[in-house]
Amino acid sequence: MRLTKLIWALILLVGAASFATAAVDPAAAGHEAVAAHAAAAAGEAAHEGGHGHGLPPAASPIFNIGPLVVTNSMLVVWIVAIALVIFAQAATRNMKEVPEGLQNFWEWLVESLYDFLGGVLGPDLVKRSFWFFGTLFILILTTNWMGLIPGVGTLYYKGQPLLRGGNADLNMTAAMSLLFFFFWIIWSVQALGVVGIIKHIFGGQSGGGLMGVFISLIFIVVGLIEVVSILFRPVSLSFRLYGNVFAGENILEAMMGIVPWLAPVIPIPFYFLELLVGLVQALVFTLLTAVFTALMCAHHDDHGHGADKAHAAGPDGHAGHAH
Amino acid sequence: MLTTMLAELTGSLHIGLAAIGSAIGVGIIGMKAAEATGRNPGAAGEIRNMAIIFAALAEGVVFFAIFLGRLGM
Repeated sequence: MRLTKLIWALILLVGAASFATAAVDPAAAGHEAVAAHAAAAAGEAAHEGGHGHGLPPAASPIFNIGPLVVTNSMLVVWIVAIALVIFAQAATRNMKEVPEGLQNFWEWLVESLYDFLGGVLGPDLVKRSFWFFGTLFILILTTNWMGLIPGVGTLYYKGQPLLRGGNADLNMTAAMSLLFFFFWIIWSVQALGVVGIIKHIFGGQSGGGLMGVFISLIFIVVGLIEVVSILFRPVSLSFRLYGNVFAGENILEAMMGIVPWLAPVIPIPFYFLELLVGLVQALVFTLLTAVFTALMCAHHDDHGHGADKAHAAGPDGHAGHAH
Repeated sequence: MLTTMLAELTGSLHIGLAAIGSAIGVGIIGMKAAEATGRNPGAAGEIRNMAIIFAALAEGVVFFAIFLGRLGM
């Protein structure tokens, strides 16, 4: 009852917002570009007026709440988050023994994600860290696909697109990967301890004598390289996701602008490509973060360093017999 | 004039080169993943995971070239 009210309020809010932008849009365009009479007819590509080719690399601010600047990407992420919360609430409101409808869908999603991540992380670690990786996957996937809904990026409000794909903003992806880095440190310390981490990175299997000294020197240099690669992980994670989503939106816009009178037709194949890319990138982000965690944490129970490769490749079989 | 410039390369050449390299890399990964699945269809799931991870790593080079290469210019 309360939930249906909430949903109606949300629909009304979104509807009102889009109606308002639709009403505001032509006025703003007319105000902005007196000379761009022909450009207005040319459609989306010419919407920006003189300097418009492609998407700006940064999200543009829409309004302020006090000192907080709200950008169009933030709006999309908030809408996605609210929608996810509402759907999850609606699905788990009256749980049944034999699930049906929404509950069935969510159970399928969460269960298959859990099994999938369990194969990577091992049964122990997945119990502790599933909340993070599962949320990451669902949020990234929904945000990516939300950015593909027609109207995101084409509804204008005061000369700026009102909505923009959430992951087409480097701040969002950087926030997610830094959060992962934070939790990665916590999980690693929990699993190995600070000394264990240092030993894991810098220490190798070395015998005694002069040869052992040489080998441990080599392992220290390898450890330094490893540290650089670990520090680069959040950078590469955030750039990968941002680059893919931003490039996808740019492709769609460029394809719309190639031949103005074919604008609705040409982007269609790329649209399906973007659907695929959205899924694959959500998978990649989740999988890579999970593998990084597994590399560090699901380590304390194996026998010797030869298993490192097996962890990186397919830890399924190996981490399976943890306990 | 001692040095005559015959031709000049401008623009984002490094991005193009990185794209060539990582496209070749992703292609090889896909080829080998398909081969491996053909040899051992039972391991299809693990091979898929591995291929996705390594394809993502190979692909990341382009984004380094795009975003970090710009800082050096």
